[in-house]
Amino acid sequence: MSTEIVINQVNMRFGKGDKAVTALSDINLDIPSGEIVSLLGPSGCGKSTLLRLIADLLEPSAGKIEVENESPRQARLQRKFGIIFQQPTLLEWRNVVDNVSLPLEFTGHSRKERKQIAMEQLRMVGLEKFAGHYPWQLSGGMQQRVAIARALTFNPPMLLMDEPFSALDEFTKERLHLEVIRIQEQTRKTVVFVTHSIPEAVFLSNRVIVLSAHPGKVKHNLSIELPGKRDLQIREHPAFFEYTTKVRSCFGEGAYDEDLLV
Amino acid sequence: MRIFLFDARKLQTAVWLVLFLLVWEGVAWSIRHWIPVTQPETKWPYFTDVMTYVFANLGMLFKQGGITFANALSGFAIGSLVGLLLALIMSLSATIERIITPYIVSSQMVPIVGLAPIVFGILRDADMSRISMAAYVTFFPVAINALSGLSSIPSEKKELFASYASSKPVYYWKLALPSALPYLFLGMKLAAPLSITASIVVELMGAPNGIGVTMVSSLYYGSSQSTLFWATLFFSALIGLAAYLVISVIERVATPWQPEFRSTGGGNT
Repeated sequence: MSTEIVINQVNMRFGKGDKAVTALSDINLDIPSGEIVSLLGPSGCGKSTLLRLIADLLEPSAGKIEVENESPRQARLQRKFGIIFQQPTLLEWRNVVDNVSLPLEFTGHSRKERKQIAMEQLRMVGLEKFAGHYPWQLSGGMQQRVAIARALTFNPPMLLMDEPFSALDEFTKERLHLEVIRIQEQTRKTVVFVTHSIPEAVFLSNRVIVLSAHPGKVKHNLSIELPGKRDLQIREHPAFFEYTTKVRSCFGEGAYDEDLLV
Repeated sequence: MRIFLFDARKLQTAVWLVLFLLVWEGVAWSIRHWIPVTQPETKWPYFTDVMTYVFANLGMLFKQGGITFANALSGFAIGSLVGLLLALIMSLSATIERIITPYIVSSQMVPIVGLAPIVFGILRDADMSRISMAAYVTFFPVAINALSGLSSIPSEKKELFASYASSKPVYYWKLALPSALPYLFLGMKLAAPLSITASIVVELMGAPNGIGVTMVSSLYYGSSQSTLFWATLFFSALIGLAAYLVISVIERVATPWQPEFRSTGGGNT
């Protein structure tokens, strides 16, 4: 398995002088390609910051990040990241299909190709019937599926997901978990998934990176090998509980911060 | 439900009209009977008298009002364009914004009643002066509101466009401008009636035509013309209202995604 993202001695500080806050301290991390890797931790552990550093939306104060042997900037300019945020972040003035085809307007596709590819992606998330609807006519879960379809349209090798389901109800969340797993199995994309939910991290990931807060540090790097297919039944399997218990124990006393309870 | 809301709105309008008439005619009646003023009909005429005059002189009022409206409209268009351009330039860098802001704020400190004769004296052309003054009062609210629209784009949307490696012009065209449109329209709705007022102020300074001229001349001819004065006042207000409504209608067509214009039901979560 080749290594997609290499994070080497990365530090991130916000602000200057006495008021400076260290968000991330001495992060060393290898993220292999073709896996789902979760960045898990309480609020303030800098997991979203780390995601933004990988995506070149922020620059580290110190240290180096390489994405497919290039700088994050080069990777961003080659449009190698499909980003999905906590909020769907759709453009309200565009209907669903025009939102999904937005990335293709940057890659020189013709109008016909854009529409065709966008419709394919909408089929993939089961929303082809809603192509002509506007974002506000859809539920939160549907909007987030549109955002997933949009991130997939220009077929980036990496998906970066920043707590994408934390604003959704439990039923929608479960469906979208399965959808992410299915899409990743079909496309073999590298997925970096930021979350504060232990079961979500264990269920989705091949690997869970546990971060501690103030300052953000890598506390544990855990490979998850669940026996069998990742479906809703596996959540009842003893191995699943072993992993969640193991991850929770990484946080010690702080494990019962409300932040970590789902 | 829909029909019910529609009726409620109709009822509101009816109540508003009745209250307006009651207050107006009440004031007119009170002045006549309780306050010893000379020629009370010039101080506060009955609304019905004003309306009778308006309808009798509709052609003239429309002609003069049309001239005022057309000039204000040209100035409004120029001012809106200038305001939008200023907002775009200021949104490019905080330094530019800090340099420009004091100029545009202080420009609005000069009373237009003082500025109008200066502009008229320099340009020596009624139309040009009306257009300039209308543009002058328009650009400020448009610039300020458009700028706040451009600077309130959610950071995640900006990050999204960064991940597409978007160029600045494309970012402005596909994200910043559409996001700022509701704010731009807010500025334009504020500016539209102002541009009419500015145009009228220039006319008071001695333009050959326009509703402002009719207003001034009605004052020169004493009490016999007082209903004309009130009619022009009323008509000026109507033109200002029309300007506001025109922009509101354009806004509705141009930005149908705004929450208050969303027609179709459906999940809003």
